[in-house]
Amino acid sequence: MRRTNTAALAALAVLTFLAGFSQADALQSLRATKNVVINVVVTPSPPPVAFLHRAAPAPAPAVPATAALAFAKLLEDPFAGPRTIAASSTAWDVAPGGGTMIAQSTVQPPPVPVQFNAKPDPNAIYLHVILHTPDLNVPYGTTVFPCAFEVYTFYDKATYALNDYGQGTSKTGTGTYPIENFPASSYLSWAVPDFSPTFHQYVNSGAPGEKVWTGLMNQAQQHCVDLSIFVPDSLAPGAYTAVIQYNLLVN
Amino acid sequence: MGTYAVRALAALLVAGILAPATALAGVTSYGSVNVNYKVMPSVHAQVVPNYAAGFGPQGGSGSGSTPAPGAGAVLNGGTVDFGNVVVGYQYIYKYAAQVSVQTNDNAGFVVYAEGATDLNGSNPVPTPSTYAIFHTLYWLASSGSNTPYSPAKSFVKTLGVPIAGGAMGIDYSGVGGKPSAGSVVWSYPVSGNVVQGFDYQLRLPGDIPTSQFNVYIVYTVIGN
Repeated sequence: MRRTNTAALAALAVLTFLAGFSQADALQSLRATKNVVINVVVTPSPPPVAFLHRAAPAPAPAVPATAALAFAKLLEDPFAGPRTIAASSTAWDVAPGGGTMIAQSTVQPPPVPVQFNAKPDPNAIYLHVILHTPDLNVPYGTTVFPCAFEVYTFYDKATYALNDYGQGTSKTGTGTYPIENFPASSYLSWAVPDFSPTFHQYVNSGAPGEKVWTGLMNQAQQHCVDLSIFVPDSLAPGAYTAVIQYNLLVN
Repeated sequence: MGTYAVRALAALLVAGILAPATALAGVTSYGSVNVNYKVMPSVHAQVVPNYAAGFGPQGGSGSGSTPAPGAGAVLNGGTVDFGNVVVGYQYIYKYAAQVSVQTNDNAGFVVYAEGATDLNGSNPVPTPSTYAIFHTLYWLASSGSNTPYSPAKSFVKTLGVPIAGGAMGIDYSGVGGKPSAGSVVWSYPVSGNVVQGFDYQLRLPGDIPTSQFNVYIVYTVIGN
């Protein structure tokens, strides 16, 4: 009986300890959010190159006797036989209605004016993104893009953490290539080489996502993010979009 | 309509040629004449900004502000005016422009769209005064499900010469007479009277200066 109580108390202590950590995470508040939008253009790849065993040359086809005789006569007297005149067998070189193009017609309607007022981002001092490779032009297979973008983080009032996940994903949602949605795995992976060269598939089950790095109060950091993308053979060529959400969580 | 007019004209010409000969001979004779004619291909096009109710900007998720059309945006005209947008965020402008094309060209047509210039900053004038349109302003075919993150293609700055800063279009005479192949936004393979709507996306990089930016998007339609 006493032994059972001791075990129960120990389990309770462990639970309390873990709950404290969990609440510490839960108490973090969202300070800033940035979405990184990456175009993925999948181009068709040629079939793989392979070495083929060279087959033995096929025997030359036999020339029919009549054809050989006619060829010999032609060599002997090229102008023999009835006179022939080059002529078109049809009434017109280009039949009426054949759509002969005279010139390309070009028209330029009045242009469309576009305007916007770019306002400063008050969150930029805490979180911003420097995008280096907005377009990933990729063949089938795996392609790595070193330092596709950089992320800057800073907070002056407490420690902080940077989390990421596929924007718009959730535990019960549906997704599209390349990040997809849980339980499918993301085809897009990331690594921060300043910390580790290991690539991680992007979390695609929504918030809270995964921890990218943490920072101390007043610690400014800017790190490159490498991307690795896999294009399966079953994917149609075309344009896709990857949207990664970065959240700055502060304590 | 044009085809029938040409046929009638051709018949009249043939009759005019044959009639004097018949009168001189004093006898009736019959014959046939092949008449070839060509119908000139023609292309007409119009572009309407803000072409449907519900036009305007959406997005800016995380920026803390909700976008609204600027004062220059009016239904079926005006400016594709995103209004106030926040640096570092993404937006979509619904029903930005609709292109209508009418052509008798059996081979169809191609529509190109290019920025007459890069984005021109003013109020205040940034340094430098322009910012690249490439990878900032995008286009995609209109769809009710489009979002700021839907796949889209970037506009590019033209290689031609903008006329009046782009307000009067682009002169392509020095660059082969037409826009670059990469700026095709719509290709149609047959003749017809057809329309296509386009949404625009604004993906503002973190380093774009705070300013008012303007640009003209020039559509050029060429028969195949």
